[in-house]
Amino acid sequence: MWANMIDGIQAALTLANLGALVFGAFVGIVVGILPGIGPMVGMVVLLPFTFSLHPDVALSLLLGVYCGGYFGGAVPAILMRTPGVPSSLITTFDGFPLTQRGQAQTALSAALLGSFGGGIISVVILVFLAPILAHVAASFGPPEYFAAGLFGVTLVVMANRKQFAKGTLLLGLGLWFSTVGIDGATLSPRFTFGILSMQNGLDIVPVCLGLFGIGQTLILVEKKILQTESMSLTRSTLDFSKLAQALKYWYTLLKSGIIGTFVGLLPGTGSILASFMSYEAAKKSSKHPEEFGKGTPEGCLASEAGNNAVPAGAMIPLLTLGIPGDALSAVLLGVFTINGIYPGPLLLVKEPVLINTLYFSMFLINIVAFLMLALWLRPFAMIVKVPSSLLAVNIMVISVIGIYAVNTRLFDAWVALAMGVLGYILLRLRWPVVNLVMGVVLGEILENRLRESLSQGDGNPLIFLQRPVSLGLIILTALIVVVPLIRDRRRAALKTAKQG
Amino acid sequence: MTDQPPLESRAHDLLAVVIGAFAALTLITSPWNVDTEGPDPFYKGPLIFPIIILAMMILASLPACLRMIKPPQGASWHLDGEGFPLKTMIVLTLLCLSLVGVQVIGLEISALAFLAVGLRLAGHRGPLRLILIPVIITGLVVLVFKHFLGVFFPTPLIFDWFLE
Repeated sequence: MWANMIDGIQAALTLANLGALVFGAFVGIVVGILPGIGPMVGMVVLLPFTFSLHPDVALSLLLGVYCGGYFGGAVPAILMRTPGVPSSLITTFDGFPLTQRGQAQTALSAALLGSFGGGIISVVILVFLAPILAHVAASFGPPEYFAAGLFGVTLVVMANRKQFAKGTLLLGLGLWFSTVGIDGATLSPRFTFGILSMQNGLDIVPVCLGLFGIGQTLILVEKKILQTESMSLTRSTLDFSKLAQALKYWYTLLKSGIIGTFVGLLPGTGSILASFMSYEAAKKSSKHPEEFGKGTPEGCLASEAGNNAVPAGAMIPLLTLGIPGDALSAVLLGVFTINGIYPGPLLLVKEPVLINTLYFSMFLINIVAFLMLALWLRPFAMIVKVPSSLLAVNIMVISVIGIYAVNTRLFDAWVALAMGVLGYILLRLRWPVVNLVMGVVLGEILENRLRESLSQGDGNPLIFLQRPVSLGLIILTALIVVVPLIRDRRRAALKTAKQG
Repeated sequence: MTDQPPLESRAHDLLAVVIGAFAALTLITSPWNVDTEGPDPFYKGPLIFPIIILAMMILASLPACLRMIKPPQGASWHLDGEGFPLKTMIVLTLLCLSLVGVQVIGLEISALAFLAVGLRLAGHRGPLRLILIPVIITGLVVLVFKHFLGVFFPTPLIFDWFLE
């Protein structure tokens, strides 16, 4: 075990890996600071470049963007009341009032400490929790995996239960996309419509890059240039004396980091919920709850610790069950599978060095992102002045050429463009696009496990109810659908009765 | 987007109906679109999973279908007040043309042309933004993809035409 850990640390400290994580964190902070772009666009644009890299280097690069994005998102949230990433919305509650009172450095120090602490706490939890979950999952057969996958996708749909039908439609569409091409088990062509290029299926990279990269940039083309007059920073670096002051909220930091990790662990819940729950928990236990919302560094710290704990939390189900916790970790799953590595309970046994490299890289990413932002705070904050439409047009070209470069197939670029149009429509209508991505990513896993399970049971679907773990998971899945829907219906009925 | 699009806008229902209709059509035509001649029983075959998910999609689109037939009181087509995305559509068309252009006039010219025209359409002015930025980005794209990653790009058809 120690030998694997030392090998992992050595691999994480290689020049290639360090370069990847520093570059990834830099890109992550930049895209996190730019409202409307975010870490997802950063990750999918860099995705084509990862195929020529070693898997651990590729993962470090993308994890750098993933974590760096949450670090960066706090800066415009505090300075301009414009969250760089959606979850930084909660940081604006206290961050911007502090900026208005001339205490931007206090808010930024608390937010950065929160991001750093939340990230480190979540990685520690990941290191200890992943082997335990993997040990439990090692006894899983196809029915249990199918039930776990079903539970995961149901959580994703129920995370946007106000859009239940739309979420289900998009999940179904994503699952259907995953079936296009030659069926791996029977080698039968499916839904290729006579097009030869379709036999390779719809690859996850053009689908993700199209939906998020091109879709989001098409929206940005119409956006006006951000007004940045209100942005004020007296120093070019972070005021480290304020950082020491923020340390007095260590208990809030610890609690928020733990909450964020466990929220991130549940598929579909997302970083906004992690941020909000951490903020609410901090408010409840604070000695001065009345200051929340009016400008307290504790609020900034709690919110940022919560959202920055999500990436490592989402890695737990990804590494142990092969089920990504959110769309960003779904992209990471794509990197694993393209390199012939299949996340699941055996991954920790089969690839111990890679796993340890990943853990240590995540530690390093949090340190690097923290130092980068602390030392170059003003230069990074100035990035927000770059017009988003200028970036959008450039990102489009890089995305389309990048997609072609992966397999040197123009067909993939056309798929990305088609997905870009779909992504634009869905993003503009505010449909839960994440469901579509989760469908594409989990489709193959769910289908294979379903067919394997049915084969085990000689075609009898009752096999899922005959095994305690799968039965438990299916009951849980049914409950997370039925209970909130009944509760919502009751609330609506009560409201109607009161109005009547 | 200036105001939050109301989730009950009829545009949402229309999209749901379109996706649902696509699922229905795909389900009906699936015996012809999926090769099921293999020896495997149905539960091991390639059609079971698509049938389940397409049926799920049809079910999920039913409420929207009903609302399309009988719209609720006060239902409107208003979406978000952002108007018709003409600029986006032109940029998208240009992007499609630039992809065709990669085959016809080569990567360098098509990327440069798309960037210059795209930035102009997006409202940018001045030689710095319309000339310098496209040149730098095109240079970077060529350097990274062609030379650093060694990606093969087809010889522009225009070269063949001239050489012939």
